[in-house]
Amino acid sequence: MAELTLDSITKVFTEDDGNEIVAVDDVDFEIADGEFLVLVGPSGCGKSTTLRMVAGLETITEGEIRLGGRRINDKPPAERNIAMVFQSYALYPHMTVKQNMSFGLEESTDMSDDEIDEIVTDTAEMMGIANLLDRKPDDLSGGQQQRVALGRAIVRDPEAFLMDEPLSNLDAKLRATMRTELQRLQEDLGVTTVYVTHDQTEAMTMGDRIAVLDDGILQQVGTPLECYHTPNNYFVAGFIGEPSMNFFELDVEGDALVGEHFEYPISDQLRGAVSGSDSVTLGIRPEDVEFRADAMPTEPTDFACTVDVVEPTGDANNVYLTFDDDNSDEPRTFIVTVSGMDRVESGDKVVARFPESAIHLFDEFSGEALKNRSLEDVESVDISI
Amino acid sequence: MIVFYLIPIETGLMTAITDPSAYTGSAPYLPPAPGDVSLGPFTNAVDALSQGLANSFILVVPATILSGLLGSMAAYGLTTVDWKGQIGIYMLFVAGIFIPYQAVLVPLTQFWYNVVPLRTTVESVAPMIPLLQEFHWKLIALIVTHTAYGIPICTLLFRAHYKKLSDEMVEAARLDGASITRIYRRIILPLSVPMFAVVFIYQFTQIWNDLLFALTIIQFGDASVVTQDLVSIGVSQEGTNFPLRMAAALVAALPTLLVYIFFGDKFAKGVTA
Amino acid sequence: MRNPLTVLKRLVSDSGDARTDGGTASSGTSLLSRDSIRSAPFWLPPFLLVGLFVYGAILWNVVLSLTDFQGLGDPNYGDLDFENYVVAFDGGTPSWTDYSIDPIWNATQNTVVLMVAFAIVCLALGLLLAILVDQQIRFENTFRTIYLLPMSLSFVVTAKFWLYMYDYNTGLVNIALGAFGFGPIEIVQNPDLKLAAVAFALIWQYSGYAMVVYLAGLRAIPSSHFEAARVDGASTIRMYWRVIIPQLRTATVSALVVLVVFSLKAFDFLFSMYGGYNPGPSADILATQMVREAYGNQNWAYGSSIAVVLFLMALAVVAPYIYSQYRQGQL
Repeated sequence: MAELTLDSITKVFTEDDGNEIVAVDDVDFEIADGEFLVLVGPSGCGKSTTLRMVAGLETITEGEIRLGGRRINDKPPAERNIAMVFQSYALYPHMTVKQNMSFGLEESTDMSDDEIDEIVTDTAEMMGIANLLDRKPDDLSGGQQQRVALGRAIVRDPEAFLMDEPLSNLDAKLRATMRTELQRLQEDLGVTTVYVTHDQTEAMTMGDRIAVLDDGILQQVGTPLECYHTPNNYFVAGFIGEPSMNFFELDVEGDALVGEHFEYPISDQLRGAVSGSDSVTLGIRPEDVEFRADAMPTEPTDFACTVDVVEPTGDANNVYLTFDDDNSDEPRTFIVTVSGMDRVESGDKVVARFPESAIHLFDEFSGEALKNRSLEDVESVDISI
Repeated sequence: MIVFYLIPIETGLMTAITDPSAYTGSAPYLPPAPGDVSLGPFTNAVDALSQGLANSFILVVPATILSGLLGSMAAYGLTTVDWKGQIGIYMLFVAGIFIPYQAVLVPLTQFWYNVVPLRTTVESVAPMIPLLQEFHWKLIALIVTHTAYGIPICTLLFRAHYKKLSDEMVEAARLDGASITRIYRRIILPLSVPMFAVVFIYQFTQIWNDLLFALTIIQFGDASVVTQDLVSIGVSQEGTNFPLRMAAALVAALPTLLVYIFFGDKFAKGVTA
Repeated sequence: MRNPLTVLKRLVSDSGDARTDGGTASSGTSLLSRDSIRSAPFWLPPFLLVGLFVYGAILWNVVLSLTDFQGLGDPNYGDLDFENYVVAFDGGTPSWTDYSIDPIWNATQNTVVLMVAFAIVCLALGLLLAILVDQQIRFENTFRTIYLLPMSLSFVVTAKFWLYMYDYNTGLVNIALGAFGFGPIEIVQNPDLKLAAVAFALIWQYSGYAMVVYLAGLRAIPSSHFEAARVDGASTIRMYWRVIIPQLRTATVSALVVLVVFSLKAFDFLFSMYGGYNPGPSADILATQMVREAYGNQNWAYGSSIAVVLFLMALAVVAPYIYSQYRQGQL
């Protein structure tokens, strides 16, 4: 058990023609002993490269990685005392489940065959795969292979688990089950875990904390709810949350934020946030838009809208709205999430309110958050900032 | 069309079981009359070729295994372990497949006869080692030569196979603590078994069938291989003894024919890879 | 034209499908000095064998071709010149012998004719057979086994079979001609037919291979292409000509390269057919001339220079192929 520290990690790939590509740029974070950290970002953002540097499968161009306080940059993968679970599971096809799970102990420890046998059998029982020990990977279902891959990592009793999209080859239902199972397993074992995924739902539901990476640069490290409610910047705000946050580009003009589609008043509370910017991006989450049918706008933050499309998901409706006052060539739709019990139909005239407490403002150019939603009205949410 | 491909072999077989004294050659593709059937040509052919057959086996088995094994190792070192420059090295291997043997014959003869003291070495140790004959030095030279010229095609076949293996699996083995050598022994080699079958069959056929290297390195004498002996068989002052000649051709072809008949699909895989 | 040096540099620095870039060197150690070294026990021994016996021998052969090495004894490397190449192109009596030496033109012409005829007929016949077999899928494996059977035989063996097939008195070819009221004719020793007879036997041996390659190529074409052409109202012949055959380019190229490589080994066939180094001028190819000059007449250096010519011819066919394979990232 150990804490894992990434200290200013940079990875530069040199292409054939001499071009240098910075895949990971000065990434810093710490993972506490026993913590479950999810490294999330779009494909090509450098998250897998970061994980592979921790594993020792890629060299580290700059910076230092420490596990339990010891620098591991120069250690070969086998000596780092880590175990990795791969997206393809990477089981050895010619070995039985038992041989697969024993392989690492045989190669990296001096344990006797009996000891190895005992550990493997115990772990297999814990994972519910004891009955599969003599089978080969090809005879197993995807979910069973996944368990074997996990079991193979667990028998090593490593100081850290590294998981590279381990659930992405499973079908949706099994993925949800395995998500819970994996979390419970990690809690029981208490092993420091870095989990890489492109799926923000996985990141939100599984991680103690999540680290959002884009274009090789670390955008934010925080608990899932911190990242959701108080994103550091435009990218994190848009990446975390499904459906995504609505964004509108607006110019700061006198007392109002003016856009192609609508205007938003600048109150005294907002004045300070926008004072340094000429233009800003206003963001609001679909569930934060207050929505009333058959009503007239009463506040400056109310907007008369028309329902464009309704997507029922059962428990909720995703309602696509257009502004009635929108005179631009391409009217802009935005999403509002309402209860599945509300009856909304295409063509309905409605009022949408963007409460000032719920909006986010980002600098148009740097993308940095100028104002995040206030959390006073978020009840019973435990956020430790 | 089937007839076109089979009839030379069929005719050869029918002639080979005909008593030479009763042979007329009027309808060689038909089975001989029951009274004229004879295994004489075959027994004579086996007698005449026995030394050549034995030499061919002494040559082919080690050369096939060595070239296959070295080809697998080269493909592993140039594919599974990834490093810059391997493509350049690999291109040299691939180009080696297409070299006409004529381009190296004279140097090879010089090398084995005049440069390395292989002959004197073998001749001096032969009396001390059972089964080793003095003429075996020529077979050893031929084994090394065929091994060297077999490595390129074996490397190509194995590399195509190794490229299909999962990268993550090899990385998993590295994380599991296996060294490059251990990964080869415990992961790659067991997964290469199907490819070894293809490669061995291909190499066995190629080396068994070769005449040119044997002609220029063994030249003549006790070490002659079966293809050399076959060239001059069945010709005498009285004309051609076709039953004997056909029987000899079939005997010489038998090992590769058997391999082909039993492992035809793997042979097809090798030649079309 | 790309600068050859840049191409070479690309070759050397290309790391292919970056499986892993290594792992864990202390900073400052270059990649080359790690995984290339650690994997060296695997690739270096075979590489040294190939380097010594293939590339070393080729270079040595080039040097030998510049000497006057003849007869018994050792080559003299002190006196190098291009005399052998002059003799190869013009004939005449070189300084190292009292006899007149044949130039290579006759053999070169025969080599080219044999290679081209062999390759074209093999491909055409192979394509035809592949289309036929493709239509009757039921006995496919049996068909394939039979068509490839000759390829498993040694050239020495096939020469014996065909020597028999071509025999003046008892050969099946003459029996068949007799059935039509022709012949019998002398084939094997007939200067007008020799080369054709050799080519025909080689085609018998290798057209099955072209068939198998084409069959795999046909199988790779989605059946929707056949169906679409049918829907468009194309006749069977037009469908193959316009839609299917153009898609078999890759199969053609790879079959062609292999056929050329095998045709370079035609020496074995001619040696076995004619019982020695000399098949006579009308069937003499570079491969036989080279071995005859070197091993029959002991004109070692002259044989080496013929070998250089043969090597360059093979290179001209194969180098573009390897280069295009490299460009397509298929190595």
